[in-house]
Amino acid sequence: MDARSSAASPRSGHVLHRFANPGQFLRLSGRVLPWLYWPGVLLTAGALIWGVFFAPSDWQQGDTVRIMYVHVPFAWLASAGYFSLAVCSFISLVWRHPLADLAAVELGPVGAAFTAVCLATGSLWGKPTWGAWWVWDARLTSVFVLLLLYLGHIALVRAFDDPTRGYRAGAILALVGVINLPIIKFSVDWWNTLHQPASIGLTGAPTIASSMLWPLLFSAIGFTLLFAAIVVTRTRAAVMERRIRGLLMAKASSASEQEALS
Amino acid sequence: MTHLPFIVAAYVIAIGTPLILATDAVFRARRAQRRLDAIDPRRNRGET
Amino acid sequence: MTRKHKRLVLILACGLGLGSAAALTLTAFSDNLVYFVSPTDLAKSDHTGRQLRLGGLVEQGTVERTSATGSAGVRFKVTDGSADVPVVYKGILPDLFREGQGVIVLGTREPDGVFRASEVLAKHDETYMPKEVADALKKSGRWNPGAGPPPPASTWNEPIKQVTGQPPG
Repeated sequence: MDARSSAASPRSGHVLHRFANPGQFLRLSGRVLPWLYWPGVLLTAGALIWGVFFAPSDWQQGDTVRIMYVHVPFAWLASAGYFSLAVCSFISLVWRHPLADLAAVELGPVGAAFTAVCLATGSLWGKPTWGAWWVWDARLTSVFVLLLLYLGHIALVRAFDDPTRGYRAGAILALVGVINLPIIKFSVDWWNTLHQPASIGLTGAPTIASSMLWPLLFSAIGFTLLFAAIVVTRTRAAVMERRIRGLLMAKASSASEQEALS
Repeated sequence: MTHLPFIVAAYVIAIGTPLILATDAVFRARRAQRRLDAIDPRRNRGET
Repeated sequence: MTRKHKRLVLILACGLGLGSAAALTLTAFSDNLVYFVSPTDLAKSDHTGRQLRLGGLVEQGTVERTSATGSAGVRFKVTDGSADVPVVYKGILPDLFREGQGVIVLGTREPDGVFRASEVLAKHDETYMPKEVADALKKSGRWNPGAGPPPPASTWNEPIKQVTGQPPG
């Protein structure tokens, strides 16, 4: 039956199936992980040392501008992490992939932590620059909503006795929440906000000195690799934990069967 | 440096959080791997 | 197979509906999502007595410190180029406060047209540049911080070369 359904599925389904095989995933991710951790650690360390000790201070903000090297990567990963969560949820709802479910469950807490760091570092920048720890403008509020969406997802996927129902509910929440991502991105352009618009965009030249842009770019790549490494490690652990549960249950049921027979 | 406490606090949070998450994840994966090896060493060796 | 397709179409349809609903809601509430109003907005309608946030640039040459009765006060005009509003404020100003700086002031407009502020926030723009670059741009006359945004970052290199090209000492 399995063979027939996969024979009828389109090519994209084929590829997906091959990568979603938990055994394949464990083997592949085991090989990829060192390539995420070590470059991630080295790039991040290098970029932050560059940003703190060698990058110039800003003419207005002084050294407070150095908070940018830890704030902007986390802001970007908060959104990118949620986008990944939505992609996993989509795959989980349409193709019912067990691996997408596990990845979504493991993404939630990491994304929430990164969003919280984004808010905390932004607050630490806002106090000396704006003169306020927090304001309810469209950008800050929409990122706060993102944190609430993450927390809601974390709670929802763990709220059911039957994990499958938790996965479905969480996936629907994650997909509904995607609407918040363009709001976060464009809030600074659509409405008057205290938060400044983006300095780097796909269109138009960046409005940031290149001596500050490079450490920011490396820091963003470094933290992204670390984010991916953490999520992949957690998903590996989740796959193995599920297999352990399966084996223990199989053992218990075979033992009880034998007991019943004797 | 101007506003040094703010900068230090931001860096401590930003470096500490991924560090804690990564350490927790690595130990959790190791623990799972050890348990899996103990329960089913044959299948696991075939895969890694 | 057909069930997968059905789920796919269902999710896409839901997404489309939700997206348009959100877009409509955001358009409808657009006024409430605005964090501050500009001096032009303030001039257009009567906001007297209502607490609101006013955003704009501190107009060149209008800042005067008034240290009457002990506490330090300040009086300045907020402009957006086409209209300006006089503001009075008593309290601590943010570090970034200066003439030409973007600010957001929270307060109420008095019947005499003066905006009495209870809080002043500095708005930072999306430009980040080292002090040397800012100085060089100002010195070469290519940028006046009070008059508007600086030239694009790709042209900043020129003054840097001039500055670092000079032998030290």
